[in-house]
Amino acid sequence: MLKQVTGIQKEMQHLTVVPGTSPSTIQKPYIVDCKGQTDKMTLQRKLEILSDAAKYDVSCSSSGVGRKGDGTGIGNTSAAGICHSFSSDGRCISLLKILFTNECIYDCKYCINRRSNDVPRASFTPDEICELTIQFYRRNYIEGLFLSSGIIHSPTYTMELIYEAVYKLRTLYRFQGYIHVKAIPGADPLLIQRLGLLADRMSVNLELPTAEGLKTLAPNKHRKNILAPMRQIQQGIEQNKEEIVVYKHASSFVPAGQSTQMIVGATPESDYHLMMVAENLYKKFDLKRVYYSAFVNVNEDSELPALPGGPPLLREHRLYQADWLLRFYGFEAGELLSEEKPNFNVLLDPKADWALRHLEQFPVEVNRADYQTILRVPGIGVKSAQRIVRARRNGNLSFEDLKKIGVVLKRALYFITCNGRMMYNTKIEEDYITRNLISVKEKLPFDRDGMTYRQLSLFDDNMVYEWKQAAGG
Amino acid sequence: MEEYYLICEDSLEGIFSGVYDAYLMKMPHEQIHLCLGEDENLRLFAVYRECPVDEVKAAKVAKTVVRRFGQEAYLSLCRAMASPETDKAEAVYKTIVAGLSMKNPMEVMGNLANPYVYRVFELARFVAHEAHFHVEFVRFQELENEILYSVIGPKNNIITFIMPHFADRLPLENFIIHDEKRNIYAIHPAKGDWYLYSGGGEFPEDRLRCSQGEEHYSELFYSFFRSIAIRERENLLLQRNMLPIRYRKYMTEFLMNK
Repeated sequence: MLKQVTGIQKEMQHLTVVPGTSPSTIQKPYIVDCKGQTDKMTLQRKLEILSDAAKYDVSCSSSGVGRKGDGTGIGNTSAAGICHSFSSDGRCISLLKILFTNECIYDCKYCINRRSNDVPRASFTPDEICELTIQFYRRNYIEGLFLSSGIIHSPTYTMELIYEAVYKLRTLYRFQGYIHVKAIPGADPLLIQRLGLLADRMSVNLELPTAEGLKTLAPNKHRKNILAPMRQIQQGIEQNKEEIVVYKHASSFVPAGQSTQMIVGATPESDYHLMMVAENLYKKFDLKRVYYSAFVNVNEDSELPALPGGPPLLREHRLYQADWLLRFYGFEAGELLSEEKPNFNVLLDPKADWALRHLEQFPVEVNRADYQTILRVPGIGVKSAQRIVRARRNGNLSFEDLKKIGVVLKRALYFITCNGRMMYNTKIEEDYITRNLISVKEKLPFDRDGMTYRQLSLFDDNMVYEWKQAAGG
Repeated sequence: MEEYYLICEDSLEGIFSGVYDAYLMKMPHEQIHLCLGEDENLRLFAVYRECPVDEVKAAKVAKTVVRRFGQEAYLSLCRAMASPETDKAEAVYKTIVAGLSMKNPMEVMGNLANPYVYRVFELARFVAHEAHFHVEFVRFQELENEILYSVIGPKNNIITFIMPHFADRLPLENFIIHDEKRNIYAIHPAKGDWYLYSGGGEFPEDRLRCSQGEEHYSELFYSFFRSIAIRERENLLLQRNMLPIRYRKYMTEFLMNK
C-alpha cells in the first residue's frame, strides 16, 4: 500500500543540486533543479487551475506554532501567523493554497471539482509544488503551503501523492516553514500518522453540519469516515505531547493543531445547530479552529438553494463572531441561542444580543468586576479587558481612560459604571438600549463600496426574504 | 521657576544619554524636558542645553530600564524611540521617571492613565504595527547575483525590528532591505550576522538587475494572487482595510497590476 512512499528514495537520485553561484558560494539545499520535466501544460496554467479550485477552502491561517529556523535550510514559523497579502475579496493570503489535483472521483453537489463538471483538469508533480513553495517563500510572498486535493483513484492513493510532496519539501528541500495538509477521509491511517509528523496543521472538512445534509449533497462521503481521521489526529496530538515530555527531541505531531470547515447556507440547519456542532468539535475533538464558509453556488445544482443576493456573508459573519465568543470570551453556545431562538439577530452582534437579554447582570463596575465579567460587556474585547485589569492596579479608571485603552464607549456605556457612575444618565431598558445600539452603525467587514450594507434595511422585503432563505427559515 | 530643555540626538543612544544627564541635574523632573533638535519657538526663561551622545551613559540607562521594568517594557521604549514624532524623547524620559517611582516598576507599561506612559504606549503600538506590516508585506526580488533585494518606505524607523525575523527565516540567503526614506541598508550575508549600512550613496542601477527567474516567479505569483480571489465575495474596501494602499507601491502583485 505504501509503495509510492518508499519509492521516494529512488526518485531522489534523479535530482541534481545546482552548484551555488552566489558570491559566498554557500549552497542552498532547497534550490533544486528538476530535470527532465517536460509537461505540456505550463506551470502558470496549472497554478491558475489548481489555485482557482482550492480557493473555496477557507482555512488560511499560519498560526499555532512558533518555531525558529535551525540555520540549515529555509523558513521558520510564527505563533501568531503572518498574512502576506490580501486578495480582492479581502481574504488574507498566507499560504500557497493549492490542490494537488482537481481530478476527482466524487460527485459532491456543491463542489466545483465534482466528477460531472466539465472544467479544465490539471495535476502538479511533487517537485513543482516544492519549487513553487520555495521560490515564493524566498521572496516573502507566502508563509508556507496549504495542500489539499481532489480524490484521484482512491483516498489512500491521493494521500500518498500528498505525502510524497510534503516529504520532499521537508527533507530534500529542507523547508521549515508552515505546512497545512488535508487528511482525506478513508485514507490509510498509517499515512495520516506519518503525514502528521511532517505537517504543522491538518484538517478534515466536515463539509456539512449534519449527516443527512452530507448524504444528500455529498453521496460519496460519510460522516463516520470524516470523524475517524479527526479522532485519530486528536489522539495523535495527545500522545505526542506525552512523548515530548519523555523524549525531548521526539518530532512533533501536528503541532499547530487541527481545524475543520462547514458550509453555511447550503442545507437548512439553523445557526443554533451550527453552533452546537462547533462547540462539540471544540470540546470533544480539541479543534483549534472551525471555519464557516458562506455557500457560493458554483454549480447551480437543483438540490441547492439559489442565492440571488450572493453568498450569505452576514450570516457567516455572525457565526464567526459567535465562534470567537466561544473560544475567547467564555460563552457557551446554549447561552447565545436556543431551540426557541435558533438564529442570530441580523441587526445586532451576538454579544450585544446576549447582553440585552441579560440586562439584570448589568451595569458592571469596571474598577472592580472580575476579568470574565468585563469580557462579557459589549464594546470591550480581549485586549481592552486585559488592559483594564492591568491598568486599574495603579488607581481607579475613568471613562476617559477607558477610551484610551480602546473600549468602544458608544457601545459599552449602557453596560458599565466607572466609580459607581454611568457615563450618561441612561435607562437600563431593553428597547431603549437596542434602539441606541442599532443607531450606532455596526462596522461590518463587507460594507460594499462604502455604502450601507443592503441586508440591514428592514423594509426591503426582498432582502429579508433572501436572508431567511439563506438561514433556512 | 526655571525650565531646562536638554536637546538630544534623535537615536536610542541620544535619548538615553539625555535621560542620564537629566537625572544628573538632581532637580525636580517637572523642570526638566527632553527635546530633539531645537524647537521652532524658543521659550522665554528656559535654558537650552546640548546633550552629547555618550554610549556609556546610554548603556547604563538601558541596563537600568531592563532590570527595573523588564524586557517587554524596554522593547516598548525602544519601539517608541523608532517613531518620527518629536515628543518621543520627553515621553520616554517621563515614563522612566514614572516607572521608577511606582511600587512595582515592572508594571510601568500597564499604567495607561499616566499621559506619558500612554504616549509611549501609543507610539510603540504604531511602530509594532508597522513593523508587523513589513514582516508581512516586504517583497524580495532576486538580483542577477542571487542576492534578494527589497525596498521599503516606512513611516517609523522599523528596519531593526524586522531584520531578526528575516535573518532567522532565510539564513542561507544574501539579502538586503533598503529603507529608501532614511537611506539605510540592512544587509544579511549568508550564514552571517546582519548589519546596518547608512550614509553611503545609492546602489548603482546596473547592480540591481533582476535575475532570469525573477520575472517568471513574480508572474506566477501574480496569477495566483488573481485566481485565489472569489469573485462572488469581492470586497475592495476590506482589502484596503487589511492592506493599506501606501504599502502597495512596493509589492510585486500590485506593481504588476499596472
